[in-house]
Amino acid sequence: MERYATIPIGNQGALGAIRQFLASLLEKKLVDALLVPLELPTGDNVVPTIVSSPEQVQAANPLAPVMPVNAARLVSRITMVSSSPDRLGVVLRPCELRALVELVKLKQASLDKLLLIGIDCHGTYSVADYGKFVGESSSPTEDFLKRVRESKGDPLLRKACQMCEYPVPMCADLTLGLLGANLDKEILLVAGTSEGERVIQELGLEEAKAAERESAVSGLVAERSKKREELLKQTREEVKGRDKMMATLATCINCHNCKTACPLCYCKECFFDSPVFEFEAEKYLGWAKRKGALRMPNDTLLFHLTRLNHMVASCVGCGLCTEACPNDIPVSDIFRLVGYEVQKLFDYVPGRSLEEELPLTTFKEEELPDIGV
Amino acid sequence: MAKSEAVLVIGAGVAGIKASLDMAEAGHSVYLCERKPSAGGTLVQMDKWFPDNHCSMCQILPTLNRDRSSQNCLRRGLVHPNVELLLNAEVTELQGEAGDFRVTVSTRSTGVDAQLCTGCGLCTEVCPVEVESQFDEGLGRKKAIDTSNPYVTPRQYAIDWEKCTRCGECVSKCPTQAINLEQKESTRQLQVGAIIVSTGFEEFDARLATQYGYRRYPNVITSIELERILSPGGPSEGELVRSSDGRVPASIAFLQCIGSRDSRRDYCSSACCMFAVKEATLIKKAWPQTDVHIFFMDLRAFGKGYHRYYERARDELGVNFTRCRVPVVKEDPQTHNLVLTVASEDGALVRRQFEMVVLSVGQTPAPQFREFCQVLGVETSRWGFCQTQPFSTIETSRKGIYVCGSAAGPKDIADTIVEAGAAAGGASKWLSSPAARKAEKEEVEEQVGEEEPRTAVFLCGCGGEIGLALDLEQLADNIGKLPSVTYVEQIPYLCYAETLETIKKRVKEHKVNRLLLGACAYINKPVLDKLAAQAGIDPELIKVVNLREDITWVHRDQPDKALAKAKSLLAMALEDVRQQDYPPASLTSVTPSALVIGGGIAGMMTALSVAQHEIEVHLVERSPELGGNLKEVFSTLESGDTQPLLRDAIEQVSNNSHIHLHLESEVTAVSGYAGNFSVSIKEKDESLNTVEVGAIIVATGGDEYHTTEYQYGQNSKVITQHELEKTLSAGELDPGGLSSVVMIQCVGSREKDRPYCSRVCCSQAVKNALKLKEANPEIEVNVLYRDMMSYGFKEEYYTMAREKGVRFIRYEPDRKPEVKADKEQLTVELVEPVVGGTLVLEPDLVVLSTGVTPGENRALADILTVPLDEDGFFQEAEEKFRPVDFLREGIYVCGLAHSPRGVEESIAQARAAARGAVSLLTSEQLEAGRIISETVQRQCRKCEMCIAVCPYDARARDEETNEIVVREALCQGCGACVVACPSGAAKIRGFRDRQVFSLIDAAF
Repeated sequence: MERYATIPIGNQGALGAIRQFLASLLEKKLVDALLVPLELPTGDNVVPTIVSSPEQVQAANPLAPVMPVNAARLVSRITMVSSSPDRLGVVLRPCELRALVELVKLKQASLDKLLLIGIDCHGTYSVADYGKFVGESSSPTEDFLKRVRESKGDPLLRKACQMCEYPVPMCADLTLGLLGANLDKEILLVAGTSEGERVIQELGLEEAKAAERESAVSGLVAERSKKREELLKQTREEVKGRDKMMATLATCINCHNCKTACPLCYCKECFFDSPVFEFEAEKYLGWAKRKGALRMPNDTLLFHLTRLNHMVASCVGCGLCTEACPNDIPVSDIFRLVGYEVQKLFDYVPGRSLEEELPLTTFKEEELPDIGV
Repeated sequence: MAKSEAVLVIGAGVAGIKASLDMAEAGHSVYLCERKPSAGGTLVQMDKWFPDNHCSMCQILPTLNRDRSSQNCLRRGLVHPNVELLLNAEVTELQGEAGDFRVTVSTRSTGVDAQLCTGCGLCTEVCPVEVESQFDEGLGRKKAIDTSNPYVTPRQYAIDWEKCTRCGECVSKCPTQAINLEQKESTRQLQVGAIIVSTGFEEFDARLATQYGYRRYPNVITSIELERILSPGGPSEGELVRSSDGRVPASIAFLQCIGSRDSRRDYCSSACCMFAVKEATLIKKAWPQTDVHIFFMDLRAFGKGYHRYYERARDELGVNFTRCRVPVVKEDPQTHNLVLTVASEDGALVRRQFEMVVLSVGQTPAPQFREFCQVLGVETSRWGFCQTQPFSTIETSRKGIYVCGSAAGPKDIADTIVEAGAAAGGASKWLSSPAARKAEKEEVEEQVGEEEPRTAVFLCGCGGEIGLALDLEQLADNIGKLPSVTYVEQIPYLCYAETLETIKKRVKEHKVNRLLLGACAYINKPVLDKLAAQAGIDPELIKVVNLREDITWVHRDQPDKALAKAKSLLAMALEDVRQQDYPPASLTSVTPSALVIGGGIAGMMTALSVAQHEIEVHLVERSPELGGNLKEVFSTLESGDTQPLLRDAIEQVSNNSHIHLHLESEVTAVSGYAGNFSVSIKEKDESLNTVEVGAIIVATGGDEYHTTEYQYGQNSKVITQHELEKTLSAGELDPGGLSSVVMIQCVGSREKDRPYCSRVCCSQAVKNALKLKEANPEIEVNVLYRDMMSYGFKEEYYTMAREKGVRFIRYEPDRKPEVKADKEQLTVELVEPVVGGTLVLEPDLVVLSTGVTPGENRALADILTVPLDEDGFFQEAEEKFRPVDFLREGIYVCGLAHSPRGVEESIAQARAAARGAVSLLTSEQLEAGRIISETVQRQCRKCEMCIAVCPYDARARDEETNEIVVREALCQGCGACVVACPSGAAKIRGFRDRQVFSLIDAAF
């Protein structure tokens, strides 16, 4: 059962209130450090940073609509070798949290001593768009909040965000609730676990009701789901069949940036970077001779299909693979399209719960009767 | 007396194969003698089995030390280095005694010299004599010289001496002079310590039941004929057709109990109900429009999972079930449809037409079986099956001779497999321990394929046969240019003994370390192993391409395609041998002691069977004393008084120095793997004790179902069968004082919440009804039942009870009897389904058959990491072929922990489980297979996906090094880990990426 409290905004604005809240977590020693996006001095981007001083946290901006990296990857990096020695609060967007939960299931991260602080997500812009947006606005964060409140479907939002039906964090100890909150007055603080409740108690925040949260959330989810249907349909048309799929991936240069941006791709060394894919010249010429022509770099289709095969059941649709592609291949669209079908098939939502087993690890005698013999 | 280490198994059906493999795996020499020209028995005639509707026969094959048995499919025949298969052979004389039998076996010649025969099939082609194929139940035709069934590999040809006209066509056509038309018989003396009789059954000859028109009406067939029709290898290649017009029948009627449950054979054949349900299921799945009816007397779906399967056929697939023994079948001569007089829904008799009728024929002993038993000096029972001993379904009347499967009475595959294991266990008692076991393998230390590859290629012409469609010259020319090929030669007959000499010579001359053979399916694993040993080449470095079957015979008129395909296949095979790099097989040591969990009769029997081999056994029992449920069961129908058995077992267990009793104790944790488990036991004094064992047997039993139905618990005159049995046995209840007793069957069983049959309650009711009648013939006993599950020889007692005046009244599950208590008088009301009227009974006593429920198995299942089935019983590895094992190697299950079953059946299962454990525990070391998985640590991210997906418990995280390791002896090389691992860190030897890539490249 979720419990709610409120963080009053006063005259410092929503961002100020969140900074204040984060600082108080450090001051009251509820956490020893925080992993949170900090604004760059230039102001045109944010970077996840481990902050231990309450002063420095004043530069935090988890509301900025930009996600240069999926921070689940960073939490994995921090906790993979050994779990955190001190209490670390991590401020994450829903897709980051979901990816983190998947990584925990894949034993690539540990939640020991972690306080999971989620934040409702209205979506993000690409790094370039955000830079432009900041340049054109005097108070970009407030402007963004106003923008999403007032208009439906911000065209600047990344495609992945436009169709994301998970704007609310799952599995968080605490959630900074923007949806259904009166952001002129207060931010909701939602406790999803007993740990979250403890923090609320320690901070002495007043319990509150969240009468409008549910309808605000369901309204946004419905809107996003509708958009998803529309965009997935579009994608399906664009990549349908071998020829269209080949054409979509034709400009791939095998840089593997998508794999680096992906929060889930966790191999030490990508199989496609391994010596298995280093061939003698005679092989290349031999293939060319056999088929008449060999498109280079080769094995790009195999790379994407293999990555799809390995990761799609856990894909959270954060869309950073598309952002990372130098040639604008819509990698995320393909993953989202296939992921949506696969996840539906196994009734699996990546990051929904730690208890839910990965589809590949469960076996049922009678399963998928329509597939195979 | 010097005991022999060898054993003779008579009958190579499923029972004989299982018993032989069990003995062979334990290192004994096995002579497996079969009257017919090929192994497999009735089993290979069948195609698929319930519950999974697949062929899973290969599940019988051993999973530990698996490379020692060199085969993958049992339909092709049985091949094991420790098993000598004697086909066309019969036992004619037996002398000596247990431990030292001398057996004379007489073998009829097949007319075809197996050493010379190349399996080309020309003899069959020219033979002018057509005969009925016995394998296809007479539905298909074959020749007087032919193979006995289409699956056997290599193809073994034999002459049907009765039908052969000695015309000599085949003799002159045979390219290798392998045929001799003079029938010869040879005898051989065998010395064995024990004998296992596994001769199976004969299907009832349906011609004897003349009223059904079998063989007179073309569309009346037997259930086994239907099995052949449904088989893709059968006479209609799997198409369901009726023989009068070759059409798919629109309606089919199955008639049950043909040749069973009548005055001449007053027993139930046990397997036919499920056999019919399975065939109906297969038909409904493939031809959903076909109207399928099963006419039965009692639907005996009593085994584990059977009731569910039956319900699925009825409710999901729409198979119609009608309770009615059909008296006669008539034919409409115009349409050849069959007219049956059957009961309609309201019970009235109506005439119905069906397009096909299937007679579910029962199991009978073979005509010559009595005579055969006389030769062995073992007794036969009333119905001509082998007589077994009380509480022991595997012991015959003669020491050292055991029986299993349908030879001792009708049964299904699962029970047969259990008995085969138990019989192997019994027989091993009389054998000396096999000495040869260790020295089998020479020490091979070096890794395969370390030297620079040099390959010799031999292309067999098969006396011109292969050359018919394939340009061997061009092929040889082409392959000679490929990498590592140092020598190519064409050979007329690769399978000839002289060829071996040639190959040996060439290997030496050309310093060859790999061989590639273009030949036929005749060159199978055993042949190759022999060749490898003699030519001094590692067997892994010899590959065969079947030029004859896969190319010439497929592309007879397409020489271009034949050549292209041959080039591809040979190039791939060459790449395969070129890249092989197996490290030497690893060995895992075994802790020779066992843990038995549960001190009931199953647990005690298991402990005794294991301890008999001087293996230390830890027997853990939760309660303060041994005995379990058997303390409450005082007799069984077939074996009589149980208490002497129980007392004897407790005494033996208590006095056995190899058995360590842990009473009032529980298993709290288990780690490790087959051969090396570490078990924590919480002892009586709460202390924790750790024992090291190699195997674990679960025998935790089950519980009696506790009901609140039918006024139980409210009225003292409503009791359970157990309570009746107990008070009767203790003399607390005087049957003389009773005038009327009502028994209600299926209380809580076969219902929505517990959709399984408790198997024992019908026998229990018959037994107690007979006891009551015996004590007081005047008592009126009414048994209210749904289906009487008096399977096998229990049927006789059911008949006896009826003869003694016990009334059996059926009720429908949706109209259960009602028990009412009015002052002193109990009344039972029920609607009798046939007449439809309401019956009111006024008994002194109502006895409820409450059946069996699983014990609290969840906690133990989690400790052992083994699964439970849907009902909460332990789930074995495979329902039919591995009924006492778990997929997790080294753990076995028996008794009520597995499923409801009678005392005799629990004991047989206990012995089978013990046999499995003893086989494992007497292996000093387990040898890993060659094709197993490995971890490339450099690439491993320790996500443990491989551990999660491994079905064999073969992958684990090493606690010290934190690395993901492979328990090599357990790995079956299935490759699930490779699929699950995204990093490419999990690999299968022989199928590494480079190897597979180069194979693919070579193909084009």
